[in-house]
Parts: sequence; C-alpha cells; structure tokens
Amino acid sequence: MNFLLKLMKKFEPPFKEGRLKRWYPLYEATETFIFEPTVPTPGAPHVRDAMNTKRFMFLVVMGLIPATLWAFYAFGWRPLAVIIVSYAVGGIIEVGFSIARKEEISEGFLVTGLLFGLVMPATVPLWLVAAGVAFGVLFGKEIFGGTGRNPFNPALLGFAFVYLSWPVHMAPSAYIVPTMHWPGYLAKYLHSGNMMVDALSGATPLSMAQVHGYHYALAHYSLTDMFFGFIPGATGEVSAVLLLLGGLFILVTRVANWRIPVGIFIGVGLLSGILYAINPGKYYPPLFHFVAGGLMLGAFFMATDPVSAPDTQGGKWLYGLFCGMNIVVIRQFAPLPEGVMFSILLMNLFAPLFDEIFLRRRARKEKAYA
Amino acid sequence: MSHDVNPLVILVASILTNNILLVYFLGMCSFVAVSKKIETAAGLGAAVIFVLTATTPINWLLNHYFLEDNALAWLVGPHLASKVHLGIFALVFFIAVIAGFVQIVELVVERFSPALYYALGIFLPLITVNCAILGGSLFMVEWKFNFMQSIAYGFGAGAGWALAILVMAGLRKRMRISLVPRGLEGMGITMIVTGVMAMAFMAFNGIVPV
Repeated sequence: MNFLLKLMKKFEPPFKEGRLKRWYPLYEATETFIFEPTVPTPGAPHVRDAMNTKRFMFLVVMGLIPATLWAFYAFGWRPLAVIIVSYAVGGIIEVGFSIARKEEISEGFLVTGLLFGLVMPATVPLWLVAAGVAFGVLFGKEIFGGTGRNPFNPALLGFAFVYLSWPVHMAPSAYIVPTMHWPGYLAKYLHSGNMMVDALSGATPLSMAQVHGYHYALAHYSLTDMFFGFIPGATGEVSAVLLLLGGLFILVTRVANWRIPVGIFIGVGLLSGILYAINPGKYYPPLFHFVAGGLMLGAFFMATDPVSAPDTQGGKWLYGLFCGMNIVVIRQFAPLPEGVMFSILLMNLFAPLFDEIFLRRRARKEKAYA
Repeated sequence: MSHDVNPLVILVASILTNNILLVYFLGMCSFVAVSKKIETAAGLGAAVIFVLTATTPINWLLNHYFLEDNALAWLVGPHLASKVHLGIFALVFFIAVIAGFVQIVELVVERFSPALYYALGIFLPLITVNCAILGGSLFMVEWKFNFMQSIAYGFGAGAGWALAILVMAGLRKRMRISLVPRGLEGMGITMIVTGVMAMAFMAFNGIVPV
C-alpha cells in the first residue's frame, strides 16, 4: 500500500497547483477511491460526523448488491449492460460538471446510476437508458448544483422521463419471465432481438391485475413467487426478499431513516386494507401490494434518499404515509399499473411543505417557552 | 367533459388530473413571481381560490341568461332572441365581473392584512388579468358545464392553482441551498421545476373519467 500511496503522491503536484489544475477533481476522486481521506466531508449533505459521503453511498450500493445479482440470474447479462451504460453516461456528465464547478466529484452518482439501471425492464434499448440517465442527472441534479443540493431524486426523474416519453419500450412486452430452472438465464444475453427464441416476455403481475383483476395475476404467479422474485418486472425490483435484506442492512447501518419505509408500509397497508375490506373482488389484497412491483425497492432505496426526503422527523412520517397511500391510489385508480416511482417523485415535491409544518410547530413551541 | 359528470368528480379532476397550472399552464406569471415565499404564496393562492369560486358561477349565470345564442328568450321572446348574438362580448363581460371581484379582494386584504397587501404588491390587482381566472370562465363555457358543475370547477381550479404555487414556494425555499448556474437563476430554474412538477402530476392522468 505504501508504494501505491507514494505513486499517487508523485502525481499530485501538477494536479494541485501545476498545469493540470483544472483536472484536480479527477485526481482527488481516484485518490480517495483508494485511500481513506483524512478530512471530513466539507459540504452538503451530512456534515455530522466522520462518516463521509463516499462511505455513505457505498453502504447504499452494498445494500443493493443482492437484488442486482438476482437481476443477472433472473434476466441474464443484459441488466449488467444497462447498468454499465447508465454509469458511463451519467458518470461523464457528473465528472464534466464537477470539473466545471471546480468541486470534488461526488459519489452520489454511484447510487443514482445503479438505481436507474435497476428500474429498467431487461430488454430496454441501451440508447433509452443513456437518454434517461442523462436527463435525470442533468435536470434532477446538476442544474441545482450537484449532489446534496437537488430537490428531486435524479434516478426517479430519469425514470419518469423515459416512462412518459417512450411508453412503447416500457410496455408489458419489454419484461422477461424468469425461468425456475438452474442456472436461470445466467449464460444468456437477452435483448429484444433474441428474446422470443430464448425466453418469454410477459406482463408484470401488476399490469395483469390491472387488466384482468388480481385473481388472474395470482393464478399465474403465487405470492411466494413474487416474494422470492420469479416474476417479470424491472430488473432490480422483482425479488422482495433480497430487497428486504438489503433494506434492513441500510436501516441497521443508519444510512436510511427507518421512519420513511415504515411510514410507506403503514400507508400502503392501511389504504389497501380499507379498500380490500370494502370490495375484496376488485381491490388487491394488502399482501399483493407488498410483493408485486417495486414497493420494496422504492420504499427502502428511493424514498429514503436523504437529499430529497424531508429533514424533520414528523415530516418523514407524513412523507411516508402519503407516499404509501398515493401508491395504492395510482395502482388502483390510474391507468398506470405501477405507481411507486411516480408517488415518490410527487412526495419529493411536497417534502419541503411537510418540513415547513413541523418547523413552524417547533418555532411556536419555543416561542411559548421563552 | 359533459353535462352528466358529478360535480365532485370535476372537483377532484380540476385539482389533480386537469390542474389549471400544471396541465394547461395558465396563470404562470404570478406563479413564477410570487412563489418566492410561502406566506405570500399562500395569500395569493387564497385570493385566487376566492375569485375563481365566485366569478365562475357568476359568469355562468351571465352567459346562460344573456350571452349565449337564444339566451335572451326569457326577456324578449324567442323570435327576437334568435337574432341577437351577444356571445362576442363574452370576454368583456367576464373580465368586468372578475375585475369587480378583484377590487373587493383588494379592499378586504388591505383592511385586514396590510403586511400581505404590501408583500403581494402589484400582483394582487393583477389577478384581474391572471389567465387562470379568465381561463376558468372560458373552460366552463367551452365544456358546457351546468351551474353546480361550474361552482365545483371554479373552486377546484383555484385550489389546484393554490396547491401548485404552495408546492413551488416550498421547493424554492429548499432550493436556497442549491447552486444554480447563473444563467438559469430565478425564472429559468422555476420553469424547469414547474416542468418536473407537471411530469409528476401526469401520474394522475386518467384517474377520473373526464
């Protein structure tokens, strides 16, 4: 390690004050990628302790690894290509803006790029991935000044953009049915060209339920299939159990605040329970809501983004509850089969107002004591 | 939209799925200018709700009994009424009603909340020419609403506008920590954020059958 450190330090002078000064962010990123930096994070977000943004983001990525590996098993190597394109395109934009702003390159993108790849269907065209991630990073983050200064989650914004712009590529026919037989599609690279030969495309349980009712969806895939991940869906969202595992990991390490996912689950359970009690033939049972679709991915990894979520504890509860209820409303009443991503994006908009309610209450209380 | 839609459905639709600001992009100028602070945004939102709720049904009556083709039959008989076409004056009459109501709002706000009156400044009397409010009356005519529906629509459109400006004021407060490129500061970034809001609201598209 000493030898590596010496090598890095040898290259430092031209970057620090020499002729390569403009490219210093690139040097800094490489150095702190290999070695622990001795200075704490100077800017937003999280200035509280020695835990810096880089470690923080790595923990989130670690939480996502089980679900990502499952995506390779269930849908072949195509999801890996999607993630690589997502990282490459978004990374170039991120590095370009960091250099232009003369700031360190932020690791927030490691999470955004991975999350964006995981919400795409397996056979999505790669140019569409590039367009979506570019839009998300540019308009969701960079024009607000980069990581920590953005009011929306960039991965969600990119998703909403491609979903509304190219609905054909996000239609039910873009999703692959995973095989139950070992070794899954591990040896295959499935895309829209060879998909019909090597694998079947199939509607997700939620779009089945929307068209034919949830009984039809349950006749095709049991709740256990959905829980373990043998259903068609976006590459990273299908296995509820692995996402639960990763989600608990980021809750235990305190990277994510537990109030938000718990609030979302209460909101979904409450509203879907009421609707199910009113008309069990038409409205989905609560358990179906939990395991079908992207609820686990959204609740643990998207909604808990500390930058776009509310800061106050009460605000987090409201944010989660409303988000959960909104998910049920969209799934049951809107023409969209799945509402997790849009609900969280909507709640991103309302997050500052939720905060405002509790900040004002606190200010009033303090005034009353004084 | 047509005659048989329940006014409650119209109320929900005009707030969420057919939001007058986020879907039709009406009333943008005061939306961009007054969304810097939450208090003033809430004040202007309340004023818009009041004016829209009051003027849309009044303009409905005006349109139904005076301006529409054959509307004057109750006054001068069907023969003469079929020769009079006052519809071309609709804009003038609608604006006159709106201007009257804005005057009332202005007097009330100045009397009871001088701070809000000065914070809103020129934008309070400018509600008169806020396209969201005239738009409310014109859509009501275009979609052939009945009286109850036009009350629901007026209130819903106002509430939708107020909701949008409140959300924007919250976001702009949060964006004080942002480092927006100089060329996009103020107006530019507000327009982009409005676009994002409109995108997110598209999730509700088609939630109610109108």
